[in-house]
Amino acid sequence: MAHAPAHVDPNADPVYFQYEDIDQQQETYIVGMWAFLVTEVMFFGALFLTYALYRWKYQGDFYHFHEQLSWKLGGINTTILLLSSLTAALAVHFAQKKKTKWQVGMLVLTILCAFGFLGVKTVEYGAKFEHHLFPNKSFVYGEAAHEAFEKEFGSHKPGTFTQIVEKLDGPEKHQEGNPARARLFFSMYFAMTGLHGVHVVVGIILFTALIYLIVRKAPTITDYIPTEMVCLYWHFVDLVWIFLYPLYYLIPK
Amino acid sequence: MADATHSAHHGHHITPQRTLFATGFALLVLMVLTIGAANYMPEPLKHNSVFMNLLAIGIALLKAYLVVSIFMGVKYASKLTKLFAIGGFVWFLTMFATMIDYISRPYEPVPGWEKGNSTALPRNEKAPE
Repeated sequence: MAHAPAHVDPNADPVYFQYEDIDQQQETYIVGMWAFLVTEVMFFGALFLTYALYRWKYQGDFYHFHEQLSWKLGGINTTILLLSSLTAALAVHFAQKKKTKWQVGMLVLTILCAFGFLGVKTVEYGAKFEHHLFPNKSFVYGEAAHEAFEKEFGSHKPGTFTQIVEKLDGPEKHQEGNPARARLFFSMYFAMTGLHGVHVVVGIILFTALIYLIVRKAPTITDYIPTEMVCLYWHFVDLVWIFLYPLYYLIPK
Repeated sequence: MADATHSAHHGHHITPQRTLFATGFALLVLMVLTIGAANYMPEPLKHNSVFMNLLAIGIALLKAYLVVSIFMGVKYASKLTKLFAIGGFVWFLTMFATMIDYISRPYEPVPGWEKGNSTALPRNEKAPE
């Protein structure tokens, strides 16, 4: 930093030439990240609005549909994501204190949580596919579902993922409610949790890239800000799930 | 920013570990509360869907507030950062004004998944039987 004033601490985080000082530089990054997160709020916001509209219109049916989802598996995933948010916040804390080993450790823990989340999601999605609850051509719900199962298996035979879910959540609940609306419910379920799942995958990629850059002591990492950016994104992913969980898994009668 | 009077030496805020752990613990407690409320709410309230929905959303909002203010550090951030964070939330609430339209008018039929006669004909035109 050729233009840095002489009195500046040589160990201080470097200031790029376009900024007045380190505070302005860091604020610029954080505000930029928030601007991106606001666009994400808009992205998910439209889906939440769609959900709110149909939930308001078909509250009674939605209660029946939500019984097909396991609140226990959802709860495990909520716990995992909340803990991963804590480890992400701790990663920023250690990055600010320049304790790189702890910082990387926390980032690795966060990635492990993200994989745990995807693992639970795989079981949930798998069971939905086995029940023909994915809203494509094979979608069946209610009485028609039982006939379809009879045709396919001779008798009802639970699949691998269904068996895992049943071990935790007891035998599957009878499919009640209007099948057309059930299709709508599961379309929104897969759209919203799917989009959230994509964000989790992107988070894993970002964390992995960040750890790689930190470990290789890349010149782009001059302070805690890159860690803060990725963790802000990760907290947003957690935020979305904080709302998805009660909206899909805990619907009152 | 040219004459940074107070910030030149004290730099960014470091949230203490104790605060972070306390927030994480509070989030987990709130999650247990929301699950407990959904499954074990006593009878008269359990079937009051307005109360149950408000409670679930209220707890979720409280959790969101903790994540945004402590984990994302907005509580300690600059006013400009706060403006962006609050702006996203305000935009989200504003968008829900769309619901006024849906609540105040009957639905018009559209061709969709529903079996039977459905049509996207303009208002006041009768669908073919």
